[in-house]
Amino acid sequence: MRFALATVAIIWALFVLADGVDPGNFKTCEQSSFCRRSRKIQGSGSKYALIPGTLNTYADSLTADLVNKENHHQFAFKLEALVGSTFRLQIDEKQPLRPRYRVEHALKGPTQAGRIRVQRETDGEIVITSEKNKAVIHGDPFRIDFFENDVLVVSVNAKNWLYFEHLRQKAQEPTSHPAENENQQEQDAAVETPKAADTIDDPGAWEENFKSHHDSKPYGPEAVALDFSFPAAKVLFGIPEHADSFILKSTSGTDPYRLYNLDVFEYVVDSKMALYGSVPVIYGHGAQRTAGVYWQNAAETWVDIQTSETNVVSSLVNFVSGSQKTPPPAAHFMSESGIVDAFIMLGPKPMDTFKQYAALTGTHELPQLFALAYHQSRWNYNDERDVTSVSAKFDEYNIPMDTMWLDIEHTDGKRYFTWDKFKFPHPLAMIKNLTELGRHLVVIVDPHIKRDNNYFFHRDCTDRGYYVKTREGNDYEGWCWPGAASYPDFFNPVVREYYASQYALDKFQTVTADVMLWNDMNEPSVFNGPEITAPKDLIHYGNWEHRDVHNLYGHMHLMGSFAGLQQRDPNQRPFILTRAHFAGSQRYAAIWTGDNFADWSHLQHSVKMCLTEAVAGFSFCGADVGAFFGNPDTELLERWYQTGAFLPFFRAHAHIDTKRREPWLFPERTRQVIQNAVIKRYSYLPLWYTAFYELELTGEPVIRPLLAQYPLDKEAFGVDNQLLVQDRLLVRPVMQQGVSKVDVYFPAIDDKKNGDWWYDVDTYQRQERSGYVSVPVDDFKIPVWQRGGSIVPKKERQRRASTLMLHDPYTLIICLDRQGKASGSLYLDDEKSYAYRQGQRIHVNYEFAHDQLVNSFVGKPKYKTLAWIERIVIAGLEKVPSSASITVNGVSQQLEVLHHDNTVVVRKPGVKMDVDFAIKLNFA
Amino acid sequence: MQSLQLSQVLLIPLLLALVATNVGSASEVPRPLGVPLAKASLYQPRAGENSWTCLDGSRTIPFSHINDDYCDCADGSDEPGTAACPQGQFHCVNKGHQPVNIPSSQVQDGICDCCDGSDESETVGCPNTCLELGAAAAVQRRNAAELHKRGAERRQEMITRGKQMRAEREARRLELDQRRKEQELLRAEKEQLKQTAEALEAEAIEIFKEQQREVDADTAQAEREPQQMRQEATLTFVRYDTNKDGFVEVTELMVDMNLDRDRNGVVTVEEAKYFLDERERVDLDAFVTLAWPRIKSLQMLAEGLFQPPQPEEVAQQPEVTTESIQPTPPKLSEEQAELAGDDDIEADEEGEEDQYDDEEPDVGVGEASPDAEEATPPNYDPETQRLIQQANEARNALEEVERSLREIQQEVNEIDDQNNKGYGLTEEWAVHDGQCYNFEDREYVYTLCPFDRASQKSRSGGPETTLGRWDKWSGEPKQYSQQKYTNGAACWNGPNRSAIINISCALEPKITAVSEPNRCEYYFEFETPAACDSEAFQSESENLHDEL
Repeated sequence: MRFALATVAIIWALFVLADGVDPGNFKTCEQSSFCRRSRKIQGSGSKYALIPGTLNTYADSLTADLVNKENHHQFAFKLEALVGSTFRLQIDEKQPLRPRYRVEHALKGPTQAGRIRVQRETDGEIVITSEKNKAVIHGDPFRIDFFENDVLVVSVNAKNWLYFEHLRQKAQEPTSHPAENENQQEQDAAVETPKAADTIDDPGAWEENFKSHHDSKPYGPEAVALDFSFPAAKVLFGIPEHADSFILKSTSGTDPYRLYNLDVFEYVVDSKMALYGSVPVIYGHGAQRTAGVYWQNAAETWVDIQTSETNVVSSLVNFVSGSQKTPPPAAHFMSESGIVDAFIMLGPKPMDTFKQYAALTGTHELPQLFALAYHQSRWNYNDERDVTSVSAKFDEYNIPMDTMWLDIEHTDGKRYFTWDKFKFPHPLAMIKNLTELGRHLVVIVDPHIKRDNNYFFHRDCTDRGYYVKTREGNDYEGWCWPGAASYPDFFNPVVREYYASQYALDKFQTVTADVMLWNDMNEPSVFNGPEITAPKDLIHYGNWEHRDVHNLYGHMHLMGSFAGLQQRDPNQRPFILTRAHFAGSQRYAAIWTGDNFADWSHLQHSVKMCLTEAVAGFSFCGADVGAFFGNPDTELLERWYQTGAFLPFFRAHAHIDTKRREPWLFPERTRQVIQNAVIKRYSYLPLWYTAFYELELTGEPVIRPLLAQYPLDKEAFGVDNQLLVQDRLLVRPVMQQGVSKVDVYFPAIDDKKNGDWWYDVDTYQRQERSGYVSVPVDDFKIPVWQRGGSIVPKKERQRRASTLMLHDPYTLIICLDRQGKASGSLYLDDEKSYAYRQGQRIHVNYEFAHDQLVNSFVGKPKYKTLAWIERIVIAGLEKVPSSASITVNGVSQQLEVLHHDNTVVVRKPGVKMDVDFAIKLNFA
Repeated sequence: MQSLQLSQVLLIPLLLALVATNVGSASEVPRPLGVPLAKASLYQPRAGENSWTCLDGSRTIPFSHINDDYCDCADGSDEPGTAACPQGQFHCVNKGHQPVNIPSSQVQDGICDCCDGSDESETVGCPNTCLELGAAAAVQRRNAAELHKRGAERRQEMITRGKQMRAEREARRLELDQRRKEQELLRAEKEQLKQTAEALEAEAIEIFKEQQREVDADTAQAEREPQQMRQEATLTFVRYDTNKDGFVEVTELMVDMNLDRDRNGVVTVEEAKYFLDERERVDLDAFVTLAWPRIKSLQMLAEGLFQPPQPEEVAQQPEVTTESIQPTPPKLSEEQAELAGDDDIEADEEGEEDQYDDEEPDVGVGEASPDAEEATPPNYDPETQRLIQQANEARNALEEVERSLREIQQEVNEIDDQNNKGYGLTEEWAVHDGQCYNFEDREYVYTLCPFDRASQKSRSGGPETTLGRWDKWSGEPKQYSQQKYTNGAACWNGPNRSAIINISCALEPKITAVSEPNRCEYYFEFETPAACDSEAFQSESENLHDEL
C-alpha cells in the first residue's frame, strides 16, 4: 500500500508542469510543520474520549469535558443547536496557557439558538434531538453522528483524526557542551518521562524556516484538526478558492487543498494550491441528502479529501478486508492554531444547506444595479483624456458600459487616497464626465501604505500606532507597489474607524459619492514576505499573532472600507471588489478570481471557480474578461465576453504589459460579437437584479451548479461547465477553441431521466429530454436556455448605461412547462439607495396558467416607478390565440397578439408595474 | 369614470402624446418626431387607408403605431422618435446648429443629446442650446478657417521651398548622372593604365625574382628554365605564324588583343613592333630571344596565370621600409570603408556601433604581422622600383575615380530616398526633413525628427531610446494626416517600440502631446503649417453647411 501511494505521488509529480506560477515559492504540506504533524495522525488515529460525569445539558446545548487519553490533557466540549437544522461544535482547551484565538466578524451576527431535547443518555452515548434532527454523541472513542430525519449525514471524528495540540512551555534548549552531555541526557529523560506521549518532536514545532524566511513560533505547536465524514454523500464540494473542478478531488497521493490567502503570480489551473481567498465551508451531496460543515478557523488550513470513488488504494483495502463498501467521502480539516469551531448544516437539500450557511455568514446585500452591469477596467487607463475617450468610444460604437476603473497608476506614487496630479489634474471634472452619462468610476485602494513621512496616511498610522507590529513591537515594514510599506491593523476597531473616516467626502475630496472601491492585494500581499505575504509572527490588535488571523486580514480591511462608504453616503449602497476573502466577506464585497491568464483553460475555470464561490456565499463573482495576463486572440476574447456576460460580476480587465483590447480595436465582427454579448447581459439585468434581491432575502445563490436544482441526477453532480441563473436559465458558454457545436447537459428532475423543458432563448426551440445534446454554435451564439415553467423579466431596450434604463419598460418571457404553466418573480426599486429596506420596492410574482397571466405582490408595492410592461412573450402554447385582453380594476381592454415562429407576443399591455392585472389569451 | 382609471394605470398613451409630434420644429413639413426632412415623404399613411408599411417592407401596421413606443418593424423604422427599437436612429433637427443622428438608445434616457432637446420629453427640461452652440461653432469654424488660411500661407512658403528643393535635387540628380558618366569613362581609362602599369610591374618583379632565383638555383634548374622557355616561345611562334612562312610579322601580331597595351581596342603597328623589337618580322630564334620575353607576361596575364600583388601578400611581406617601394593596394579611409559597406550606416544610440564595427568590410590593410618582421625586404633594383611606383600611382588614380563614383552613387541614393519619402502632394513636408522637435513632459524629453526617427530621453539623463524610425505615411483616409515610425528599441517582454504621429494644422511646427496608450506604442500630436490646407478645410466646411 505504501508502494501504491508512492507511485501515485510520482505520477502526480510528473504531471505538474512548471508553467506560470513557480510552485517553489509556496509551501507544500510537507514543508509546513503543522500540516505534516496533523496529517501524520491519519496513520495512527488519536484517542479522545468524553469524561463521564462531566455532561451538562442546557436548553439549546450541552457541554462536557473531553480528554486526550494519551497525554491526559483536558478539553472543553460544547455542542449547540441552532435554528435551521444546524449544530455548532466547539472544542477548546479547558485551561489553555494563554487564550486561543476564536474567529470574530465572520458570522453575520449572534447565532440563533435552537432547542435540544435529550432523548437518551447511557454510559457511553448521549442522544439529543433538535427539530427533525438527531445527534448521537459517543463518549469513547469520541464521535458525533448527525442524523437528518433519521438518515446519518455527517459523522464527526469517525476516523479518529481529531488532533488538538495543547499549548505548552518550550522545553529547555539542549546545550551542546560535550562535558555536560551526560548530565543533559539525564535531564531530558527526567522531563520526558512523565509525559512520554506528549512530545512533539517535529523539527518545525518551535521555529520554522521557509526559503530565506524565519518564523519564530514563540508559542510552539498549537494545531487543531478534525475529520468529517458524509455517509449520505457521493461527492464533496466547496472550500474555495482553488483553480480546480467544482467537485473536490481525492488528495490521496497529493497535497491537501490549502486555504491560505496568497497573492499567486500566474496561478495554474487544476491545482489544489492556495489562492487569494479562503472559505472553509464544505458540502457533501448525494441524491437523497446534502449536508455541510463550516470550519470556522482563520489560520492557515489544509483539507485532505477522501472521495467515495474507488481508487487503487481503496480497492486494495477492500480486497484485503473483504469489504464491499467503500468508506464515505470525508474531509480532514487541519489548522495551524485556534480552536475547533465547526458548524454542521444538515440540509437536507442542496439549497437548504446553502441557505443554512447564508444564515450563519450572511449574503451580499442587494447591489446597486450598475454593479451588475458591464465594467471596463485596465491597468491602467493612463490619464483623464484616456478615461474620457474610452467612455466616449463605447457610445460611438453603441456598446453599453457602466463603470470605468482606475488601477494603481492613478495615484500619486501608490499613495492611496491621492491622485497623480499630472495624469489626473481634474479628477472631479473627469468623474462628472462619467456620471453625467449615468456612469460610475471605481478606484483602487490597497491596504499597503507607502512609508513616506510626507504622506498624511502614513504619518497618522505611525503617530497613532495603527500599523501591524513585529514581534519586537515595531511597525512591520514590507515591500509592495509603493516600495517600503506598512499595513494598518484593521483588527483594531479604532483603525477601522479611522480608515472608514478617510472616505468621507470632506477628507477624500477628489472623489464623489459615485466613486466606488476596489480593494486589491489584501491577502495581504507582501512582495518580500514569506510566500509573498506577511510573516506569521507579526502581532495584531489584542496581541494575536498574524498566524491566528491571517485569512481574516482582507475581511477586516473590507469591514473598514464598507463602513467608510456607508458613512460617506448612508443612502447609497456601497460597491467594493475584493481579492482576498473569508467566510462572511460576501456581506461587504464582490470578488473576482484574481490574476488569470489568457488561455482557454482559465476561461473554463472561471465558471468552475465562481460556482464553488457561489455555494460558499459569494454569488457576486466573476473573472477578468479577456484575462489579466497575456493577449487573447479574437476568438478567446469573444468567448470570454460571452461567458462573462452570464457570470454575476462582469468586468474586462488587463495587465499593464498587455496590448490594449477595448472592443473597437478589433475587427468589426469581433466588435459585434462583443457588443451582442454585452447587450444581452443588459437585457437580463432585471433577472440578475431580482436574483440578488432574492439572495439577500433567502440566501439562495444567484448562480448555481446543476445539482442545486437537480439533486437527484447523479450525472449532473460533476457538470461544471454549465451554470444555472437561479432556477430559470441554463447557461453553457462556449469555452473551447474552434468548435461548431457544444455538448449540453440537460439535467433530470428525477432518477428516471425525466427532464424539464428548456427553451433556447434566441430561437425558443425546445429541448424536451434530459441528457447530453450536441448543439450547433456560431461566433455569436451563447448557448442559453430558459426553463419551461419559468417567467423571466427582461428589459430589451438598449441604453449606454444601466442607470439610464430605470424607467424603461419590461418584457416578460413566459416559457411553459408540460402543464402549460409558468411562474417567476420580478423585483424592482430605485436601484441605488437603501429606501428598499423601508418598503420602497416592488416584489411581484407572475403566474401563468390556463391561458391567463396574473400577478401577485409580495408585500405592498410601494416603489413608484414609470416603468411598465411593453410585451409578453409566450413560448410553448399549444394553440395560437387570436387576441388577448387585459383586465385592471374590473375594466378590460383588448390587446393585439403577434405571432412569431415559436412564440406569440402580447403587444404592449402597457400596464404599470405596481398594478394588479390579469391578461387572458383569447382563442377564436 | 372607469376608462379614466384605466388610462391612469395604462400610462403609455399619455406619455407618448408628448413625443409623437414634432411641435415647433424647424421644418414646415409635418412629420413624426425623429424623422429627417429628407425622409418626411416616407412617413405618410397609405392612400385611403390608415396604414403604413415598414421601410424595409417587412410589415404593414396601423399608421398610429408610428412612434407609439412599441417596436413593430424589424428595421426600427416605425419608431424614429422613441427608444423602442434597438438599432434605430433619431434625427435631431438642431435648428441653428448642426443636425445629427443619434442612436435610439439615447432617446428618452434623461440625457440631453440633441442641442434642441428633442430627444428628451419635456419633463427632463433640456434647454435648447443650439443657437449658442451654433454661434460658438461658427466662431470656432471661423477661427479654424482663419488658422488654416494663415497656416496655408506658411504652407505655401513651405511648398515653394519644397518644390525648390525638389528642383534642386532633380538638377543635382541630372548633374550627378552626367558626372557619373564622365567618371565611368575615366574609370575605364584609369583601369587600363593601371593594368599596363601592373603588367610592367609584374614583369619587372618577375624578372627580378627570376634573377634572384637564378642566383640561388642549381645549374640543372638554370638549364631547364631556358629550355622550357624556348618550348613555350616556339608554341606561341607557331600560333602567331598564321601564314606558316617561318616568320611572325607585325600584321600577325596585330590580331592578338592581349597586346593592346593602351587598351584602346586596337593593336597598332607601333604596339606590335614593340613586341618584335622594332622589326617588321622575326624568325623563330629572334622571336625566342627578342619577342617572347616581351609577350610572355601579357599572355600570362590574359590567361590569368599572372596575378598582380595582393593585399595578403603585402601583409605577409616584411614591413615596408622607406627606402624600398612596395606594391601597395589602395588604402581606404575609414569613412570610405563605411560608405562601401552600407549606405545608411550611422552610429545608433542603442549601442549598435559595435555591430557595425563587426560588419565593417574587410578592406583595411593589416599591419604587418609580427612574425614577418624579421624577414628582410627584397631590395629591388631601381628600374623595378620605378615600375612599382608607377603601378602604385595607377592603382591610386583608379581608386580615386572609383571613390568619386561611390560618392556620386551615394548622393544619388540620398536624393532618390528623399524623393521616395513622399514630402506630401506638393512637397510641403520637405523642409521638415532634417529638422528635429522636442517635447518635455514630467519624466521625458521626446524628440521627433520627421522622416528620420522619434526618440525619448529621460529628463534625469541616460541614453536616448529610439521609439521608431521613419516608416511611412499612414493616415486614413487622409494619408498625410499621420506618420508612422517603427522598429524602435525593443521593449522588455514586449514588441519593438513604435510611434504614431498625428498631424494637425498650426502656425508653428511643434509637438503638443505625447502619450503611450499601449505599452511601447507612442502617440505624438504634431502641429505644423504643412497640415494647413485652406481649400480642403473650406470644402469640408461647405459639406457641413450643405447638411445644415
